[in-house]
Amino acid sequence: MEIIVCVKHVPETAEAEIAIDSSGKGIKTEDLVFDINEWDDYAVEEAVLIKEKLGGRVTIVTVGSEDADKTLRKCLAKGADRAIRLTDKAFDGSDAYATAKILYGVIKDLPFDLILTGTQAGDDGYAQVGVILAGFLGIPHATMVKKIELMEGFTRVNRELEGGLEQVMEVGTPALLAVQTGINEPRYVSIMGIRKARQKELKVLGLNDLGLKEEEVGESGSWITVEEMFIPPVEKEAEILVGGLDAISSKIVETLRARGLI
Amino acid sequence: MAMEELAAIKKLDFNMCMQCGKCTGSCPVSPKSKLNPRRFMLETAYLISPLTMHPPLNIQEKGELWDCTTCSTCSYRCPREVKPMDVLIGLRSLLVEAGNVPSTLGDALEGVYKYGNPWGLSRSKRQEWTQDLKVKYASEEEKIDLLYFVGCAASYDSRAQVVARAIVKNLNALSIDFSILGNKETCCGNEIISLGEKGLFEEIAGNNLALFDRYGVQKIVTTSPHCFHAFKSRYGRELAVKHYTQYFADLIDEEKIRFSGKIGKVVTYQDPCFLGKHNDIYDEPRKIIESIPGLRFEELGRSGKRSVCCEGGGGRMWYDIPGERLAEDRVREALDVGAEIIVVACPFCLLTFDDAIKTSGNEERIQVKDIMELVAETL
Amino acid sequence: MTELFVLAEHRRGELRDVTFEMLTKGRELIARADVDLTAVLLGHNVKELAIRLADQVKKVLVVDDARLKDFNEVAYQKVLTHLISERKPVLILIGHTSFGIDLAPSLATKLNVPLATDCIDINFEEKKPIVVRQVYGGKVNIKASLRTSESYIVTLRPATIEAKEVKPIGGEIIEVASPLKEEPTTKRFIEYFEPPAGEVDITAADVLVSVGRGIKDADSMPIVEKLAEALGGAVACSRPIVDKGWLSADRQVGTSGKTVKPKLYLAVGISGAFQHVSGMKNSELVIAINRDAKAPIFRAADFGVVEDLFKVVPILTDRVLQEKKSSK
Repeated sequence: MEIIVCVKHVPETAEAEIAIDSSGKGIKTEDLVFDINEWDDYAVEEAVLIKEKLGGRVTIVTVGSEDADKTLRKCLAKGADRAIRLTDKAFDGSDAYATAKILYGVIKDLPFDLILTGTQAGDDGYAQVGVILAGFLGIPHATMVKKIELMEGFTRVNRELEGGLEQVMEVGTPALLAVQTGINEPRYVSIMGIRKARQKELKVLGLNDLGLKEEEVGESGSWITVEEMFIPPVEKEAEILVGGLDAISSKIVETLRARGLI
Repeated sequence: MAMEELAAIKKLDFNMCMQCGKCTGSCPVSPKSKLNPRRFMLETAYLISPLTMHPPLNIQEKGELWDCTTCSTCSYRCPREVKPMDVLIGLRSLLVEAGNVPSTLGDALEGVYKYGNPWGLSRSKRQEWTQDLKVKYASEEEKIDLLYFVGCAASYDSRAQVVARAIVKNLNALSIDFSILGNKETCCGNEIISLGEKGLFEEIAGNNLALFDRYGVQKIVTTSPHCFHAFKSRYGRELAVKHYTQYFADLIDEEKIRFSGKIGKVVTYQDPCFLGKHNDIYDEPRKIIESIPGLRFEELGRSGKRSVCCEGGGGRMWYDIPGERLAEDRVREALDVGAEIIVVACPFCLLTFDDAIKTSGNEERIQVKDIMELVAETL
Repeated sequence: MTELFVLAEHRRGELRDVTFEMLTKGRELIARADVDLTAVLLGHNVKELAIRLADQVKKVLVVDDARLKDFNEVAYQKVLTHLISERKPVLILIGHTSFGIDLAPSLATKLNVPLATDCIDINFEEKKPIVVRQVYGGKVNIKASLRTSESYIVTLRPATIEAKEVKPIGGEIIEVASPLKEEPTTKRFIEYFEPPAGEVDITAADVLVSVGRGIKDADSMPIVEKLAEALGGAVACSRPIVDKGWLSADRQVGTSGKTVKPKLYLAVGISGAFQHVSGMKNSELVIAINRDAKAPIFRAADFGVVEDLFKVVPILTDRVLQEKKSSK
């Protein structure tokens, strides 16, 4: 099995304070910790699990700066065999569409039986790249994938639908599957493992290597242009209870009693 | 299996083990866990020798390795000075290198790697516990003569923060000049190495040493016996580090502490494994407790060298095994000696006892407090 | 006159709520432009659904084909490509749902039409759509424009626009012959799969204590269970808890889980990503406990407690038990 996994190196923002940068179109990232996009972590794990079962090779591809090597090394330490980083000044400002074009630039020449991605990224949340890439490659896809069974010539997948329901689909292979979190339990990678992964191949390619023109990527090659980034206005804000734990608990109990909930 | 890890285990002397079973007999978790240190000693000896045993030891199936609290009772009791605890930690690193780590422990390790604390909480919130207290933060301008190393639990856990605040109040009350690293402080790595994550530990230790050098740190005092132990014995460099119990016991010897209040209660004391069994520090905490006016000190049935682990070490803060926690049994022991307060000297003990008092339904009868809280109340 | 398409979403014979939310938005958009609102319904034996839609919109395009019975992106994409190429609508609205996520990017690529996904608002400025999207887990919004084109595709996040129904207008139902020639071979719908249900039905509970990532550790679950027990309620959770396997999937609140409307929803350690909030926002009373004062959950709550849940929950549990004891 030749498996390609597309990953993204993203800032973790769940616990962090977020501030808009001076351009007004991005956030300040200096104090943020970057790691592999959560959805992609599951995709890499799934690829490694398949490889461990059926043999083969796992190739990781990312579009990003040199800093993304951290994520690539982590993927290599998890069991991927080689990594390709696509880096070029011209790629800056690429949206999902342009990013898919960049990925296509390298993947079109690689052998693969399966491409895995995360369903979406935790930063921009487009949930598009995988499907657009599949479109360029002319292969079928499935998103929100919670279960993968590989068969001869096709794969049977469970797609997550709203309301706790799943949809079972059969997708011809080679295919691109965009996985949903929870499909597996991503393994821990040790620091020693990450250090050892330095011996594995990590290739860096740019615009010219991919045969792309500058106007095809970046902002000019995108569907979407960010005009403004802002902290959302507060529509409704909870009344924050204060005054120490005892007072807070009493207030809650009082509220519940007044509503007949206790 | 990775040869390096195996080589590390090979360095430990197995030939001395006579399979007497004192390790398993003394292991506080073995009654409720499959963990059997004696058997691991035997199987590991076979694993690294040309001889084979049937079935051979398959470490990857030995999830019970995570049950060890690294209390070191096994190593302490071993009549042949073999160190079963070190072997268990060595075996853990085989699991770590294979990525075979329970998810909550994996999260704790990732948290340390990314955020410098095992809870994965934001670095910018590390010094929030200081609130309005007077503290000096490390700066390039001034060398630090005395560094107060707060530690992760006391920085982030709301209950343990009370201890950090008490230490600061006590140091300030005694007009002692000290600094903290604030948001630059990072996990000491003691639990990381205990979990077998050697690579991460090396990285943390290297960074912490560089930080100490950068600020010209001369002496260190820690909240936690775990940080103390890491700095003292695991960093591979001689650091002038003291646990706060040693530091304050010295102040008492030097008659620098005058208590003004008193505590009219019966108290007992839980020896933290990383002070007692690991470092033979038994007298200093008792000296401080007994110098506090008004209280009556009662030893627990099993104390000092015979003390029983609370179950907070070795990564067990982030990974539980089913069954009653050891701390619950200790709460009953404390009640048996008539104690109204269980005094502790370790943030992990504080948190496990805090839980155990609640889960055993004894909140009305007994409390847990850190020595530094008692000192702050009476200074 | 040009059109604005709303792709009706249906599953197992029922129209999904997002359809009416999109129609509401569509109506608002055409009010300011010379555009017709058209619902597009693909399915099989969907007459009743078409009639229901015609109540709300002047024109309903229906493509009836057995191969469109259950959602299949390949079939949908082919039919929509045909319809869009023929009628050149200025905008196609699709729900940012599991179906929409599978379909919209594929359709946009096929037609080379700019796409903006997961939008919470859309407006036209100088004939170009300007969309508002949430990024970084809802902490930041962006306003974005789309590359100039004849048509645009926008997917709308479900449950962000309140669906408003108009008086039945008896719109026209136009049947369009299916352009599908053969059975889609690269992708086949097999069946729906319902993960086995557990013993607790969170949608039936009056009181839910719902736990999120903030709990950190499976071993800490008892503190929430105790609070739920004290309040006579059930324990629910947000997605990460299910992903970690600490609670079964039937306890999950949110778009991928259950939608709940209890009398009391107590969110413990839940940050409040929209996927979660859209499943609980119609609760009668929402109290949130989270140590991050900026957590989006506070925008969905009536009362908030900015504190460590491990500190608050046990005290609150005690207080509730005391209150119950004293009122007996």
